[in-house]
Amino acid sequence: MAEEQKEAKPKKRMTATKAAASIGPMVKEFITGTLQARAEGKQKLAYTFIVCHHEEIFRAMDVVPIWTENFAGICGAKRDAERFLQRAESLGLSRSLCTYALCGIGFDQWREELGQMPPDAPWGGMVKPDFMISSGQILCDPRSKWYQASQQFMPDVPIYNIDLPYPLFQRDQDHREVLGYYHRYIVKQLRGLVAFLEEQTKKKMDYDRLRELVDLSDRTWNLIEETYDLRKAIPCPMGTGDAMNTMVPINFMMATQKAYDFFVELKKELEEKIARGEGEVENEKYRLMWGGGLPSWFALTDFNYFNSKGASFPVETTYRMVAPLKEMDLPETKDPIEHLAWRWLGYWTFWYDKARKRPGSEPDVERLINRIEEYKIDGVVMHEAFSCRTWHVGLIWQLHQLAKIYKPIPVYVVGKDGKKEKVYRELPSLILESDIIDITSYSEVDTRNKIDAFIETLESIRMNRAA
Amino acid sequence: MELTQGKALSTVERLYQDYGFRARELKGQGEKIIGYVCSFVPLELIKASGAIPFRIRGNIFEPITKGDTLLETIVCPYYRSCFDLSVKDKYEFLSGVVIPHGCDSMVRSFSTWSYGLPYSYFHFVNIPTVCEESSFEFFEEELNTFRKSLEKFFGKTITDEELSRVIRIYNENREKVRALYELRKADPPLISGTELTMTLTAGSSLPIEEANDLFDQVVAEVKARGSSPLKKGPRILIDGACLDHIELIKLVEDLGGHVVADAICNGARDHFPKTDVTLPPIKALSQRYLDKVNCPKTYRANKAGTFEGDIANRFGDIGAYAKEFKAEGAILYVYKYCDPFGFEVPARKAYYQSLNLPMLHLEDIYSAGTMGQLRTRIQAFLEMIG
Repeated sequence: MAEEQKEAKPKKRMTATKAAASIGPMVKEFITGTLQARAEGKQKLAYTFIVCHHEEIFRAMDVVPIWTENFAGICGAKRDAERFLQRAESLGLSRSLCTYALCGIGFDQWREELGQMPPDAPWGGMVKPDFMISSGQILCDPRSKWYQASQQFMPDVPIYNIDLPYPLFQRDQDHREVLGYYHRYIVKQLRGLVAFLEEQTKKKMDYDRLRELVDLSDRTWNLIEETYDLRKAIPCPMGTGDAMNTMVPINFMMATQKAYDFFVELKKELEEKIARGEGEVENEKYRLMWGGGLPSWFALTDFNYFNSKGASFPVETTYRMVAPLKEMDLPETKDPIEHLAWRWLGYWTFWYDKARKRPGSEPDVERLINRIEEYKIDGVVMHEAFSCRTWHVGLIWQLHQLAKIYKPIPVYVVGKDGKKEKVYRELPSLILESDIIDITSYSEVDTRNKIDAFIETLESIRMNRAA
Repeated sequence: MELTQGKALSTVERLYQDYGFRARELKGQGEKIIGYVCSFVPLELIKASGAIPFRIRGNIFEPITKGDTLLETIVCPYYRSCFDLSVKDKYEFLSGVVIPHGCDSMVRSFSTWSYGLPYSYFHFVNIPTVCEESSFEFFEEELNTFRKSLEKFFGKTITDEELSRVIRIYNENREKVRALYELRKADPPLISGTELTMTLTAGSSLPIEEANDLFDQVVAEVKARGSSPLKKGPRILIDGACLDHIELIKLVEDLGGHVVADAICNGARDHFPKTDVTLPPIKALSQRYLDKVNCPKTYRANKAGTFEGDIANRFGDIGAYAKEFKAEGAILYVYKYCDPFGFEVPARKAYYQSLNLPMLHLEDIYSAGTMGQLRTRIQAFLEMIG
């Protein structure tokens, strides 16, 4: 095959926090850790996906997770995904499918064909797993199809697929009426995972350890919330660019002391920056929200470009895969598996009650509205990654709904003192179009022209308000 | 020589061309029509509630316009077309829409449908991704939730007796579809693939009793031909998702092939599996829709331990159809942006290879504009196997 040429090395993104800057080596460490674990042969290694609330189970069983989406993201960030994508295409897989999965399948096929890592594999490559844990959820079809496709090239590696549904928001249905049977099902699915891991590792689950790890994760969840809330400060001490680094401990290191300690340090750093009045950008002019879509991992310097125009991103919906547990009202249980299932449901239904109270709202829209108000947002930026339906379908409609509230004309609202106030709530939005790791879909010039035009709109609104 | 078209096939053609006209008439007579997409919606529950299920169709000749203002272009193009027609009031006679968890495009756009369209009833049916004891238990609960939702909307209790009666009517429908497929077995076939797909598509716009009558009439009319006036040609199986138009099949047949079998959603996948009438109705429906409807969205564990064994288990129904209908080649027709089918292409290719059945893989965008390109590829394929 002629696709083995690597792409040009990307420019490094400037981070606003020391914590975000420390992430690169951390990721490299857990990739090389999987290579080391494979060489030592003491622990079992498993391919798996983020946002399955099963990390505690993995870690309690001493199973080393190989985060396959993470590896694809690394290939993308290093601009070294194309050769794996082309491999996948040569097998008959369409480029329109999830490119994380295509990259992973292409890599697997190549590694298995060679019997060793592909040449110059990013950070040493992704090791062959002992087993694969896929997941069927209410979203992300590729999660139950990816490993099945990879199994063609490693038929000796078993798959366990856990089903993790949650009730979709429906206007005519109170989700509480169905939570009982959703919970019973998820508990059974997670217990099935435990049984599978026990069989694979020949070890029994230590439920005391599991309970401790679940508790550690819960504390980490709350700490993340407290830490990210600090970004409400003006100027904002940390933006979405950095959050695309700090998503690593949230999504790949949960249920570890290291993840907890990371957020202790980040919180301290943000508090210090706030005390010094230090923002992500020197003269913060616009506060933007990354309102949806996974980032283009090969073009994270676009965040620096926004920053260079005085735009900061105090908040994002992407990869903030936690919610305040204290606001969830989860049923008490001493069984850690039952708790994981309640937490799963609590997370996905977190905005349902609020959405139901506002006519025309819906959980994703409600979350955007809340973030806009809490973080004093001036504009919304979204990214449509062509290969991923999971996170990118519905964004246009969400912006439509937002536009019904944030109109380009002044409106009168009743203020705190009961008097009518004239307020300007216009909220421009920008949709960037590209992909998560397929760089062929990206044009830096076009993207930056769009950003320039958006900044001009923001400036014009700012000037009008000032006048 | 052309196939003759009698009264029944003329009715089919009218129902196909003016899709929804009968539903519109029935709406005028006070009936409630509930639209649905995908093979996963348990139609028996809708029928038992007193409403008429109506399959929402796309239109490959209609450019997607208004739909694109609300729904991303990375959505499956077939589904985008369905949404586009709905948002342009093509299906204004509907009282509501039911969407199942068939794929990410359906899940992620549910809010866009339910807020973007003016119908008073919407319901989402969550379909598990795996087939095991706990998922059947869950699915039974989910079906009961759907049942309650319909009961609330229509103000009518759906009894087990009524549901069992309706299940039998739908099973009859599946037997009649089987009778239509039997007409494909002759060489050359007595019924063309174009006629059959047109008939099934027309049927999905009718009350089930009317569809059953129509299918009986079509079977009688086609049988009356005695022998096929068609010339022999390569016998083709079409594999893929929902093919609710005749253009691709017509193309194959214009080029001298015969579409004699399929594994598509509004074909064998949807119509062949029957519901077990010996089980309690909700349990029986959960087994039919979750297990028997063989959709790639459902993860089926590799119990064989080998790749060859796994694909034989997953795609065995396709092999059985190919054998039963004596297919000589297969066309795997997959929509761009379709993750469930798209990820199975290498495995399906390997499966066809294991059957020694030549296969042509086409990726398409649900548009009449691509038929010219497809023509060249299909022609070459038919020549190769012909």
